[in-house]
Amino acid sequence: MTANARIWPLVLILTIFSAPLVIMYFYQVVDSIAQPEPGSLVPGAIDVSNWRFLWERIDTGRPSIWVVTFNTFLFASTTAFLVTALSTTAGYALSRLNMPGRPYFLGGLIILHAFPTITLIIAIFIILQFLGLFDTLLGIILVKAALELPFGVWIMKGFYDTVPWEIEMAGVQDGASRLRVWWELVLPQVKPGLAALLIISFLSGWSEFVLPLVLAPGSGTQVLATYMNAVIQDDATADFGLFKAIGMFYSIPVIIIYLVFQKQLMNIYGGGTKG
Amino acid sequence: MTNEIRTSALAGAIAVLAGPTFAEDINITVWAGGSNDSDSYRIEAIEIAADILEREAAIQGEELNITVEGRRDFTGWDEFKQGITLGAEAGTAPSIVVTSHLDIAPWSQAGYIVAVEDYVDLDSWPLNNVYPNLMEIASYAGTQWGIPQDSESRPFFFWRETMTQLGYSEDDIDALPARVASGEYTLRNVLEDAKKAVEMGIVEEGYGFYPRPSNGPDYAQFYLSFGGELVDADTGKLVLDKASMTEFYQFFVDLVAAGATRQNHIGTDWNQWYNEVANGRAAFWHGGTWHFGRYAREGNDDFWNTIQFSLIPAGNDAGRPNTITHPLVYLVMNQEDDRVEEIAAQLIAIATEPRLNSLHAIQSNHLAVAKAQSNIDLYRGDRWASEATEVLLSSASSQPNHLQYGAFSEAMFRGLESAWSGVQTPAEAVAEVEAQMRATIGDDLIVR
Amino acid sequence: MTSRMLGIGFLSPAIIAASIFFLLPVLLTVMFAFTNMSTSTGIMGGDYRINTEQLRSVGETGISAESVEKLETAGFQITETGLAALADQFDEKVADELREDFLGESFAARRDLERVLRQLDDPIRKTRDRKAAADLFAVTIVGERFDTEEQFRAALSDTGINPADHDVLAEFAYTGWTWTTDNFKLLMELPSTVRFATNTAFYVVCTLTFNIIFGLFLAISTFYLPGKYANTFRAIWFLPRILPPVLYVLMWNWFTWDNGFIATVTGWFGVPPQNWMMQTAPRAWTVIILINGFVGASLGMILFSSAIKAIPSSMLYASEVDGANRWQQVRYIILPQMRWPILFMTSYQTLSLLTSFEYILLATDGGPGRTTEVWALAAYHTALNNYGGNLQYGLGAAYALALVFIGIALSVLYLRFFNFKELLAKPRIEQ
Repeated sequence: MTANARIWPLVLILTIFSAPLVIMYFYQVVDSIAQPEPGSLVPGAIDVSNWRFLWERIDTGRPSIWVVTFNTFLFASTTAFLVTALSTTAGYALSRLNMPGRPYFLGGLIILHAFPTITLIIAIFIILQFLGLFDTLLGIILVKAALELPFGVWIMKGFYDTVPWEIEMAGVQDGASRLRVWWELVLPQVKPGLAALLIISFLSGWSEFVLPLVLAPGSGTQVLATYMNAVIQDDATADFGLFKAIGMFYSIPVIIIYLVFQKQLMNIYGGGTKG
Repeated sequence: MTNEIRTSALAGAIAVLAGPTFAEDINITVWAGGSNDSDSYRIEAIEIAADILEREAAIQGEELNITVEGRRDFTGWDEFKQGITLGAEAGTAPSIVVTSHLDIAPWSQAGYIVAVEDYVDLDSWPLNNVYPNLMEIASYAGTQWGIPQDSESRPFFFWRETMTQLGYSEDDIDALPARVASGEYTLRNVLEDAKKAVEMGIVEEGYGFYPRPSNGPDYAQFYLSFGGELVDADTGKLVLDKASMTEFYQFFVDLVAAGATRQNHIGTDWNQWYNEVANGRAAFWHGGTWHFGRYAREGNDDFWNTIQFSLIPAGNDAGRPNTITHPLVYLVMNQEDDRVEEIAAQLIAIATEPRLNSLHAIQSNHLAVAKAQSNIDLYRGDRWASEATEVLLSSASSQPNHLQYGAFSEAMFRGLESAWSGVQTPAEAVAEVEAQMRATIGDDLIVR
Repeated sequence: MTSRMLGIGFLSPAIIAASIFFLLPVLLTVMFAFTNMSTSTGIMGGDYRINTEQLRSVGETGISAESVEKLETAGFQITETGLAALADQFDEKVADELREDFLGESFAARRDLERVLRQLDDPIRKTRDRKAAADLFAVTIVGERFDTEEQFRAALSDTGINPADHDVLAEFAYTGWTWTTDNFKLLMELPSTVRFATNTAFYVVCTLTFNIIFGLFLAISTFYLPGKYANTFRAIWFLPRILPPVLYVLMWNWFTWDNGFIATVTGWFGVPPQNWMMQTAPRAWTVIILINGFVGASLGMILFSSAIKAIPSSMLYASEVDGANRWQQVRYIILPQMRWPILFMTSYQTLSLLTSFEYILLATDGGPGRTTEVWALAAYHTALNNYGGNLQYGLGAAYALALVFIGIALSVLYLRFFNFKELLAKPRIEQ
């Protein structure tokens, strides 16, 4: 397949199309530490003052970045844990267990899976408020986890589907309960799926913007997305260097995960798909 | 020193005499919309007031501990109001908010706020010193819901150098405010001069007239300039004057056609906007009294020799030169604990002390809310505060506290936006505004 | 434990979550769409009140002129009953003094009476006490709040208003929301409805086309490139997918705004600096479609790449042996295999583009001049986010409801279309 290779034209076209992204990435990094003079694109002298938000408050009215970061981490990791835990059981039930109404659950799952519920946010507000969870991290964690759940169940069902029946058959014939078979024999088989789901839901939680914006507007529940957006929108400062430095800080976990798990991530997104 | 010890000993004795006391802890949260660093006294005045109130209580032998927690890091008015409204529904609203007086009507109707008049005496200091018209603006339907936090007005600005290049002498420019006020210099003249400035190359295309880049009370001023009326004095209903509205939209369409204003001007970044107008990139623009300090921060420290200001000129014979004052108000939000509401109301009353309010007025370039402030050195010594008060406040009107005014102004701005950006003609836009208003405002609307 | 029990146990947490945050919201959205719920009505129901502002139009409700007058003129009156209550709750002396000087007198507003109480020889000193004392003399209901209809009706009776008018007044005074179909009528009437729908269709079609064509292009071209190049380009194009939207849009802002990259580069050629995102509607659309398109293309690339990998390499080798060139290989072998992935991508992305607005909200917020306002964003602006704080939950829900219906209809359609039975292979362990 490589014999008749005239790859240079192809590389050229791809490079042209990729140029905007590469430029954006490049200056995202450069501007945060060595911003060019206006009207120039040559990086200036190294200047860490854009990172001042780490050791002082950029505006006395804002919460400390560390509190915000902690909130974001708590939000993203708890969401990821919840999604993974619930998907692991529900995915197994849908893949392997015979029970009444299974076709309906599957059909419903597919509808939910394809149905982004952000349009229901008004109604979701009412429910949170009724549960007394409006403007709490727990509230947005539950909502985010529920919204991610169809995707998670779908992924996990996919992983369970690939586990050979023979493993379970053997376990059941040895007299183990289905629960034990699942825990001791099947679960180890889907470990890669668990890991992938954890990572993906973590990333998704880490990036979430609209839910915290609407459902947790208080200063105690700020996350990095809303914090960064507020700094950008503030009409008292228009400092792209500062914005980009915050952006760099915000994206550190994303970049690390990306560098370490890039291949696995692509496979998962390819298999599961998510809008 | 001894005296102080004696006093505190006495206070202690009184406290003992007054019987066993228990410490009372009150948490007060203050949310201020549209505020950045220079508006910090919207919250800090409450902190100072809390200190005073604690001391007053201590003298009476009560131990009162007030913790004030402030917040003003909102993305914009949209998010601020979303947060307050949803918070009030969920019972997590702050105790005090600093917001537009226009929120009083809907929020009182919804039961989100409580009337300050139920907690404080309006006839005692410092509330009896607040300008009556401002108190009126902070009331709705016969009830005093809030207390004015600041006052301002929204002037029209001229860049002096551009005016000189257009052929106006220094004296002409100095006389402009008076000519605007008398209706001699109108928006038609603005259009002509802005067009000329662009054609002569004094300013770039699109910088002849450089309006506010987002929705705001400012745009109602142009409706008034063209003879519109916001509210019918007899019935208290909102008024859509189609002719005035069409002319008001047409004015902006003409500006675009003349190359004096950009078609997509709305949505321009605010920082960029401030920087440009402060440094003479635009010939004409309009803003607010608080812009004075902002222009200095943008590098223009010679306001008086570079910029002239006036009322918003009249647009046609039916209209009048005008300016809108849009005071922010302190409101007390409905709380589970009545005691918190009471303390909150007392705090905002104390924060209205002329001295405290002057701190905010001068730091943020707003105008006074109380008469006595003009006797306070800090305030009196400020040229901008006194001149702006003189030129603008006497002709200032305000938008009506009306349940449906939010819908009215939103529709008006949306119409302006679509005419301005060329999506619809002014006549089409007004027709849509009319349909929208009839549907959402219904019986509370008079169409002329 | 039977597999049935286990299944239910395993599934129920997910079902509970889905019911609370999917099913219930759908039902509530349907309900809200038929109400006039807004900021001023509140969500949790209202109370009963007539204020002076409403008093001006109370005559239009059709109640008797006598009732109108009673409502208007009643204020605060110094009566023996009030004085007795005052003497009981506060001070005999105050009551006596008040009786002496003011018995029978009326005050239009509470504030006037408060002033009197303050200026007595033996005044009520505390502000709150004075207010409470003044309230003892209230005969008016104007400005008072009543939590329930019963209380309100009782107050009406006390004021002496004709019982025939009570029903009308109770309805008039209710501050909460009521059922209505006006939202849908309004949607039908407003010209903006058509504009938002057109915007949405335009946005979905363009973005989707871009996603698929460009995703295909990326997948096929990286397939033919040697590993090193392919991986580099895949890496570049994968990142937009996982970068936080706030940051991703910030990079675009920097790229397109006045002081940003395009303006800087074009500035070297004498083009005046301008905002390349917001300058004109076509530009705004271009940027919006690219912002969304780059994210979508990255999904397309991943999906199509894995589909291409699944093509047996023997087929590709065979075609090369037959002398097919690269283009023919793509045209006759790869593209036919892409039919299902493309269909899947189309159906899946149509839904998610229809209902998502995050990137538009962050980039243009519907501007300039609402030209990029799509349906979902209009729902958000109407119900939750506008300058005046005039949140119209009811109307917003009506907007959302349209999307809910489209969403469910499309999902069901897709369900029939993609072989659902295949997913339903029976579990092989039966107990």
